[in-house]
Amino acid sequence: MTPSLAILLAVFLPLVAALPVAWVGRRLGRKTAWVAIALPLVSFLSLLSLALQAQAGGPVPDVRWAWIPTLGLDLAFLPDGLGLFFGLIVSGMGVLIFFYAGHYLDDHYEHHGRFYAYLTLFMAAMLGTVLSDNLLLLFVFWELTGIASFLLIGFLHGEDGSRRGARMALLVTAGTGLAALAGIVLLREIGGTLSLRELMVTPGILEHPLAGVAMVLMLLGAFGKSAQFPFHIWLPNAMAAPTPVSAYLHSATMVKLGVFLTARLFPIFQEHPWWPPLVGTIAFTTLLLGAVLALLACELKAILAFSTVSQLGFLIGYYGLGGAGGVEHDYLHILNHVFYKGSLFMLAGIVIHATHLKDIRELGGLWRRMPVVGTVMAVACASMAGLPGTTGFLSKELMLKEIFDSPLVHGGLGWWAIVSVVLTSLVKVAFSFRLFVGIFLGAEGPRVKEHFHAPTWPILVPPLLLAGAALIFGVAPGWLSAGLQRFVVAGLHVETLSELHVWHGINREFLTSVALVAAGTILVVLGTRARWRWARTPKWLRWDLLFERGVDGLGQLAKGLTKAVGSDTPQAWLRITATFAVLMVGGYLAVRLPASPLTEMLGERLSRQHWDGLRVVVALLMALSALGVIVLRTWPAQLISLSVFGFLNTLYFVLYHAPDLALTQILVDTVTLILVVVLLARFPRSAQEGEERDRRWSWKQAGVTGVAVGFGSMMTLLGLLMTARPHPEPIGPWFTRATVPLAEGMNAVNTILVDFRGVDTMGEITVLVIAMLGCLGLLFRRRRSPEERAAGAMGPPGLGTQLEPEEREAR
Amino acid sequence: MNPSRSMIFGLVAKALFFVLHILAVYLLLRGHNLPGGGFIGGLVSAIAFIMLSLALGWREMEQVIRVDAARVAFVGLFLTGLTALGPMVVGRPPLEQFMWHLELPWFGEWHVGTTLAFDAGVFLVVVGVSVKMIVVLGRSSEGMHPFGPREDGHYAAAVEEAIDELGRDPLAARKEGDDAG
Repeated sequence: MTPSLAILLAVFLPLVAALPVAWVGRRLGRKTAWVAIALPLVSFLSLLSLALQAQAGGPVPDVRWAWIPTLGLDLAFLPDGLGLFFGLIVSGMGVLIFFYAGHYLDDHYEHHGRFYAYLTLFMAAMLGTVLSDNLLLLFVFWELTGIASFLLIGFLHGEDGSRRGARMALLVTAGTGLAALAGIVLLREIGGTLSLRELMVTPGILEHPLAGVAMVLMLLGAFGKSAQFPFHIWLPNAMAAPTPVSAYLHSATMVKLGVFLTARLFPIFQEHPWWPPLVGTIAFTTLLLGAVLALLACELKAILAFSTVSQLGFLIGYYGLGGAGGVEHDYLHILNHVFYKGSLFMLAGIVIHATHLKDIRELGGLWRRMPVVGTVMAVACASMAGLPGTTGFLSKELMLKEIFDSPLVHGGLGWWAIVSVVLTSLVKVAFSFRLFVGIFLGAEGPRVKEHFHAPTWPILVPPLLLAGAALIFGVAPGWLSAGLQRFVVAGLHVETLSELHVWHGINREFLTSVALVAAGTILVVLGTRARWRWARTPKWLRWDLLFERGVDGLGQLAKGLTKAVGSDTPQAWLRITATFAVLMVGGYLAVRLPASPLTEMLGERLSRQHWDGLRVVVALLMALSALGVIVLRTWPAQLISLSVFGFLNTLYFVLYHAPDLALTQILVDTVTLILVVVLLARFPRSAQEGEERDRRWSWKQAGVTGVAVGFGSMMTLLGLLMTARPHPEPIGPWFTRATVPLAEGMNAVNTILVDFRGVDTMGEITVLVIAMLGCLGLLFRRRRSPEERAAGAMGPPGLGTQLEPEEREAR
Repeated sequence: MNPSRSMIFGLVAKALFFVLHILAVYLLLRGHNLPGGGFIGGLVSAIAFIMLSLALGWREMEQVIRVDAARVAFVGLFLTGLTALGPMVVGRPPLEQFMWHLELPWFGEWHVGTTLAFDAGVFLVVVGVSVKMIVVLGRSSEGMHPFGPREDGHYAAAVEEAIDELGRDPLAARKEGDDAG
């Protein structure tokens, strides 16, 4: 398979197929999974063939299609070791997740098609991100993952928690994504290219004074996506999604994007003096904080989510500690996390599904009912705790070794890394034990007996495979190191990875491990004795609540501000802005105009003016009808007067030989008139008859009249000035000349709309549709009186008018 | 039909409906060479629709034409989007328009182009948006529910609070609603 074909199949096929999947889902219901699973399978196989072709350290195939060359935005892909490694994880996990979801989502759920469409879209966006060569393209896919995950997290949108979780995830990840975009733009200015391939070999990037800023901005994006402190708040709240989503987003993929971006940036920025302190401090703080929060949490998925936050901290921090030659075992740590966290999430889903319980304090004693699930869970928990015989053990030993070696290299940062890694490892042992013991051992809770129904066995296959991999590679790590060697990337990694061994002898790492396991066990025993009464997240650590309150407060702030400045009455603002404009612009004209050469031109302009009798009459009639709007007092009369103005305006266009404008004007006027008439019917008759007119002139009226006359005169003068000096190269004749040869149409107005400025037209009609949706939404959200609210959640019939008797009965 | 409506107006509106639509399509078709085009044609069509609904009544109108006008607008937007993306399939810049000249036996020379599809999209958007807005507002001004029962879920979530309710205790407001519902 050629590289281009592989990329097309892996990234673009699922991207395009998401829509048909949604459509197919209407017919197939829960069986959609068995159709949709073909997509991750195809992606996985094509990426696998690409990986098998690639030589370790050999040239990376160049896959490129032009997209928007003027922006420097190509569909350029970089299928190097890093990209393929992540791509294989994403698509491979995708296969497992689709399989799992096919068994997990039963007929209680609705919208199966939509679910798998989102999932497919998400996978395609992820693959696009990790394989992009062009940074802008990477950003496009990056944000697409955010949107897809927003849709997935909010999938059960009837639930308050789902909506809030989705909103928080989107605000945090998309907001930080914008920072990354700013960083990308800066990086392009510095390096002169958007291609990662070229940036990695561009010399002198770090000498640029803005390099540090670009680095910080891009890292902000990575930290937001990977839920690093202080952005860690969104991840546990995203747990409101169905479990397959949690397993996919949080074990394998989306949250690892930050890790991926850090790895991509490593070769470019690693030598920057800010890199180690920034990446290290944030990440290791997250490591410790996440682990502590996981221990304090009580809900199954929350425990797993916080432990993910913690592990992500380690994965990112690992790049902060890297030496000049590159890092060594990052793939092992990532893969290890995929194995155990993926299976744990799926197992948690099975447990929740079987018992309808989420709180670990209510669970217990499930071993007798589900021994197989318990065994798989035991392996996964052992891997999370880092017990020997699992990949978790390998990962932890290597982690401790590198951390112990590093304080000499990194000074204070190294010590902070040691402290946080050691403390975290201890806590991890504790909550791994707690998870297993809390679910499977001990007495069976009363609510478990009530709800329990056994899961079907096929749903167990994906977690079994993942946990099995953790076990097999944990016992025979030689296969793993041979495989990982293939994905080594120059600049990121040391040239050859050292062999992995199960047993390194009794050294300080092993002794530390033993001590940690012992301490963790003691912690669990103490906690169980105290019935985990102290395990409650303290108020000052609930920053997600603070965030929520902030977002909610924004609406109230806007409302308060609106009330405070009193913009409810636009007339008042009109007066102020018009006065301001007359004083500023009119004042400037009054002072400067007499002395400037413009005056001469103005005189010349007026003398050139061709005074056509008919046009003068029409203009006078227009002025008269405008006066009518002011003088007349009842609404219908004013409306007629205003329409007369509009139709006379049409006539004026006709006199200037502008039939297109005239046609548009007359039709727009007609539709507007109907709209206003329809709206007027809403108002009570007394309002339509107009306000009581004050016959005597007041100061206020005189002032308003003055401003109005001043504004009108000023605009007239500006119009005259504008036309006083014709442009040397007016664009109009060009369009009339070009319309036939270029657009093959005789009507220049229409060819401008359709051909020359087609993008504008597209934008305008899009705005039109969005405005319509906004209006419809606003109609739902307007003020309701208590009686109206009592009429139902959808609001009352009519906008404040009385119900018809038969309609009231119908409701 | 509501007895208070004028029968003459109804008959005239029905007759004019077709005449106006022929005019609208004519304006759309000739747009590229003579005054007309999607925007103008769409407005003519919208006026025909609105006139008919004024004559028949908003509710009867909905039973005659069962398509949601907003969907018409979406279809139009989709159509213009297709003409924008179409040229990219054959490796041309987006929104490039193509024209073909055909010699037809009776019509003589006939210009057909992708511009027509683009214009038709604009036409549909204009019809959809203006008819939808006027029908919704018109229904409400006659004391009816502004949205048909099927539309309720389309444009706003039932669970959203009105803007004026922000800042109050949302739970209290929702509870109140629940009690009433």
